Amino acid sequence: MKSLTVLREIDPSARVAPSAVIGAYCVIGPHVTIGPDTVLHRRVCVTGHTIIGQGNYIGEGCVLGAIPQDLKYAGGVTLLVIGHRNRFGRNVTAHVGTESGGYLTRIGDGNYLMDGCHIGHDSFIDDRTTLGRGVLLAGHIRVHDGAILDDMSAVLQFCTIGQYSRVDRRVPVRRDVPPYTIFGPKGDETTPTVAGINDQGIKTARLSAQDEKELRGALADLFYNEAALATKIEQLVNLGVEGEVADLCAFCSRSLKGTYGRHREIYRGEIPPEFEQFMPGEWKAVIRRALA
Amino acid sequence: MAEISKLATIERGAKIADDVKIGPFTYIGPHVRIGAGCVIEGNVTITGKTILGERNRVFPLAVIGTSEGKGGEEGEVVIGVANSIREHATIYGGTSEAPTRIGDDNLVMIGCHIGAGAKLGNHGILINSTLIGAGAVLEDYVHTSGFIVIDPGVHVGAYTFTLGYTEINRDAPPYAMVQGTPFRVRGVNTEKLRRCGFGDSSIKALKSAFHEIYNSSGEGVDAAVLQRLLAQEDCDLHVQRLVQSVQKSLIK
Repeated sequence: MKSLTVLREIDPSARVAPSAVIGAYCVIGPHVTIGPDTVLHRRVCVTGHTIIGQGNYIGEGCVLGAIPQDLKYAGGVTLLVIGHRNRFGRNVTAHVGTESGGYLTRIGDGNYLMDGCHIGHDSFIDDRTTLGRGVLLAGHIRVHDGAILDDMSAVLQFCTIGQYSRVDRRVPVRRDVPPYTIFGPKGDETTPTVAGINDQGIKTARLSAQDEKELRGALADLFYNEAALATKIEQLVNLGVEGEVADLCAFCSRSLKGTYGRHREIYRGEIPPEFEQFMPGEWKAVIRRALA
Repeated sequence: MAEISKLATIERGAKIADDVKIGPFTYIGPHVRIGAGCVIEGNVTITGKTILGERNRVFPLAVIGTSEGKGGEEGEVVIGVANSIREHATIYGGTSEAPTRIGDDNLVMIGCHIGAGAKLGNHGILINSTLIGAGAVLEDYVHTSGFIVIDPGVHVGAYTFTLGYTEINRDAPPYAMVQGTPFRVRGVNTEKLRRCGFGDSSIKALKSAFHEIYNSSGEGVDAAVLQRLLAQEDCDLHVQRLVQSVQKSLIK
């Protein structure tokens, strides 16, 4: 599909693959890289140091790579990296990272971000997640593989969303969401909490029958009474668990130790460990030089 | 020399200061005035009788100054200096008697809506998807969270912080932390007050005043209690302001 329109502004120093489709009224800044077969619909603005992989579909009115909504940001070179085969709805916004938070915002592969999502600075979204309409992620968040955030949920800074978990609609997330659980209102409680096991998530994760049985047992045991979570984790660890259950126990104990139940609070004001894993190789040296 | 993209549409009659940057596909209406040092990025729409002060930054796809379509009158918006208006924000124009006003040094984040004739003070932070109804008034240093709804015509006091998903359906007092649908007063916004240089004695006085005015569920204002607080000899200046503000909203 070749677009006939000429009304778009692509900076001459931007690196746009020949097979990428750039729609009408798009604005592409000078430090932008767009991979092959990526489609940008109308009025998409891509600024900042933004690297977009291949086969992405980016809907109308998305704004990617704008400066972060962080009062501490001083205008340094920070990145937004988007992987492959993601689908963005309309009016999705994602910001570049900040100097104090790790220089990088990253969206992995195969994610579906619906209309009006906002990905704040220094957030890391792994693969195959689904974000509903109007989901807000504040800064410094990690969303693990296969997580689902329902419409209009909002996640506070430094939270972690565990793998294959699900956050209910219109729920404010103020602490870490454990893997394979449903997070939302439970009974008469006003504060959202772990409200159940995410069956759909466990199905999607394709665990072996034995693993699934053990995981379900552990989840039911741990979250039957959250007040006793610490002792339950200790009991399970003493039994010598392994695999998914061990990961689950490690996740929960990390969250319990963190400030306000948020494990990532320990990375406040410093470079998170994901920097090594996710930062593109050629930029690592550049940023290390800037840090030195 | 202004840096205006060749692909931007600037109507004849628009007054644009010398060192303004305007991105491609931006539309500037005929009655718009833009002050020095403003940066207007691509795909922005600014119409109506809109006045932007100096050093404002408007991000892609923001819409400023459209009227609600009543009677075809041009809406009026007056924006101060050094504001940041982020992506997809919409600011409606008010009437000539009551224009929409935004003070200085505000941060209006993604997807915020500011209704016709609303007034915003200085140093405010409106987090993503804050919806401000027509004619609402927000004083200085107001800080909202995500998905806040502020109903038309209500008054939000200075230094007040609203937690996520709150609905402000009546006047909110100053210095407070409010939460709920409809909202309840949850306490004093101590963190913001400290950051703004309030002394410990003022914060302590405000805390005890809040304790007296509101019951444990954050409701129940008694006019007699307010009178008694005002009559105290060593009444803190900020407590006075709080009591006067609460009294005003009681009369309403």
